[in-house]
Amino acid sequence: MIHRHDVLIIGGGLTGLRAALRVSDAGLNGAVVSKVHPLRSHSVAAQGGMNASLGNVKGEDGTKDSWKNHAYDTVKGSDYLADQDAVERLCREAPTAVIELEHMGTVWSRLADGKIAQRPFGGAGFPRTCYAADRTGHNALHTLYEHVSGRQIPVYEEFFVTSLVTKDGRCIGCTALELMTGQVHGFLAKAVLMASGGFGRIFDKSTNALINTGDGPALALRAGALLKDMEFVQFHPTTLYGTNILITEGARGEGGILLNQNGERFMERYAANSVDLAPRDVVARSIEQEIAEGRGYDGGYVHLDLRHLGADRITERLPGIRQIAMDFAGADPIQDPVPVQPGQHYSMGGIDADINGATALPGLYAAGECACISVHGANRLGGNSLVETVVFGRLVAEKIIEDVEEMTLANDEPVKAAIKSTNDRIEGILRREGGELVFRTKDMMTNNMSNKFGIFREKQKMREGLDEIKKIQEQVGHVSLQNKERKLNQALIRFLELEGMLLLAEAVARGALAREESRGSHKRTDYPERDDLNFLKHTLVGLQDDTMHVSYKPVTLGVFEPRERVY
Amino acid sequence: MKLKVYRYHEGMAAPRYDTFQLVPSPAMTVLEALFQFQEKLDDSLAFRYSCRGAVCGTCAMLINKVPRLACRTQVESLLKGNLKVAIAPYPAIGETVPWDPEEEVLVEPLPHLPVIRDLIVDMGIFFQYYRFIAPVFRPSDPDPEKERIMDPVAVKKLEMYTNCVLCAACHAACPIVGQNPEYLGPAALAKLYRFHVDPRDVDEDSTLKRADIPNGWWACDLYGNCNRVCPKGVPPRTAIEKAVAALNKEKKEA
Repeated sequence: MIHRHDVLIIGGGLTGLRAALRVSDAGLNGAVVSKVHPLRSHSVAAQGGMNASLGNVKGEDGTKDSWKNHAYDTVKGSDYLADQDAVERLCREAPTAVIELEHMGTVWSRLADGKIAQRPFGGAGFPRTCYAADRTGHNALHTLYEHVSGRQIPVYEEFFVTSLVTKDGRCIGCTALELMTGQVHGFLAKAVLMASGGFGRIFDKSTNALINTGDGPALALRAGALLKDMEFVQFHPTTLYGTNILITEGARGEGGILLNQNGERFMERYAANSVDLAPRDVVARSIEQEIAEGRGYDGGYVHLDLRHLGADRITERLPGIRQIAMDFAGADPIQDPVPVQPGQHYSMGGIDADINGATALPGLYAAGECACISVHGANRLGGNSLVETVVFGRLVAEKIIEDVEEMTLANDEPVKAAIKSTNDRIEGILRREGGELVFRTKDMMTNNMSNKFGIFREKQKMREGLDEIKKIQEQVGHVSLQNKERKLNQALIRFLELEGMLLLAEAVARGALAREESRGSHKRTDYPERDDLNFLKHTLVGLQDDTMHVSYKPVTLGVFEPRERVY
Repeated sequence: MKLKVYRYHEGMAAPRYDTFQLVPSPAMTVLEALFQFQEKLDDSLAFRYSCRGAVCGTCAMLINKVPRLACRTQVESLLKGNLKVAIAPYPAIGETVPWDPEEEVLVEPLPHLPVIRDLIVDMGIFFQYYRFIAPVFRPSDPDPEKERIMDPVAVKKLEMYTNCVLCAACHAACPIVGQNPEYLGPAALAKLYRFHVDPRDVDEDSTLKRADIPNGWWACDLYGNCNRVCPKGVPPRTAIEKAVAALNKEKKEA
């Protein structure tokens, strides 16, 4: 079966749905394909907020925020690896994006004067983070879905995309496995927008939803696009000990403090000015160091103390994380400190895309966490990913609308051939017997990534880590499934995800090994300093004849000169 | 520590139950227990999952005869009898299989929705009712340049309803849904009420009218199971009571 649309959007999170609405505004025939129901996308879990220089809350000295302040903080936070033209675009458009959501019905927390409330976040010079208590992603995603559903935009729910289809060097559609039936469908489109989210689940301890397996970047890489800055993986400082569920930075924005086993507010030693609200890379490393030096609690965690905020503030501003702490750690933040440790949180890297979302593969665009446009560089500031989703969801859709105007759909043949080869591939996987189990193989990969490519990195360990990835890549060809059915075979989906994850793991490893410096989230104990002379550049990874190649391209500077990052 | 799991797929004459001895781990959730089953016993066990942090609403199922999120429900607490929820009995939670609540956790698909396979149900009708009430914000005036001003107290009232994750636990817990499959159900009605109490939305009464039909507000018998099982503290019964009172008042005045 072949479906035809002007624009096909892969992923039903904030980026995908925002883009779908814009495409529908333009009167084009767009559709969303997602491996889960759109409301189950990881965007729904975003807690703390969305950065925009609305200026509703004045800064400490009574000054008003501006997009330029937002851009400066973002570039500094990125350790100067972000492209400054892209950052400018993000920060100029951010207020509009927040207001648009408000106009669509999103419920935001409010100040006493009725304007949208804004709270301080790490690495930001102003209280800039607009929020809906600690359920910002939930409120925004439900609003967008309400509109998508109201306009009857087609959504292919629980369809797992199995390949991007190309013809004459252009992306013309994709194939996707319908989970419920096991049938492989073909899709033809004038443009494909990848908006499939991050790849956090290649790591062992992650805040990400279990579905964040990076399917999009892996598909794009296989189809001829490039990946960028994959070695920059954000570790969030405060994930709940045990489950690694996110405890929002907003908790520290509201005044929460970090304490080690000696009851010491250790961040004073690492970031004299920003203390607990230093950027995520800085705080995550500090916690990791406290633990490594024996000042953490047994099992490897520190305390996030909110008790001094009082019951009223906690129940009003942080109700969701209070519930999470009670449900998953048996700790009520009103009475108990919350046990936290760093965990993988965000993929700064992703599909190499320009300021309009265009990739190296014509016809394929990318936006949101799966893409690297790059607005986060080497370290993302909290509150900047949500705003990226809605800003670039709309802007990239606008570029697509412009680009597809004169285009026609490709003919069916390449998609038909892709359906056949996908079916052959699936049949081949289902026929296999013996070998390792898919779950065990996945655990080997995630443990390897956390142990060898975690917060502190070093050449020898990473070499071992890369060897291990290559070994697992070979093993995966022999992995077999007990379940041999086509219909609703989740083990098969898990296997297809794993194949892609192993590609991304290799891209992270190669990028990290080649970058012999420390910048943002990428901390090398053997190269502890930033090296602008040799590494103020983006890493690119491409696939040629099944071999990965690393190359580089310059960073767009122009507004803010690289300086030492002090917080 | 055992898991007793409902198994069914197309072609089976009747469902069966598989019992699985769990390898205990601290604070293990029912969702983690299901993954263990899938990994150690049978990888064909089907269940939906996503966030594993009780925010996405994917993994609602019938656990020890109460609809709940598997990711938020801890096995040990269930076995200790700490998670009892007093809900009004209804046919769909009657006895299906003998089980020992001190030893076993019984996991079954959400009632009132067709089973596709094992713990996966067809959510089609649930979202059909969601679409029926047309849950789209309709502002009462043209968009201003900036945000609409909103009283923080109004936001608080509204939040109670925007917190719904559409997991369908309330739909599965509602005795009326069980009797009358055409009833819109607590989730869709609570969603509609969310727009009614939004001060930015069009005049209130026209919003409520969208469910002013026999299978809308009027079908509820106020059992209140919905309020009791909601994992996010959303109170659909309260919304329905208030909507009914508002509509009655209006009819009386007319």
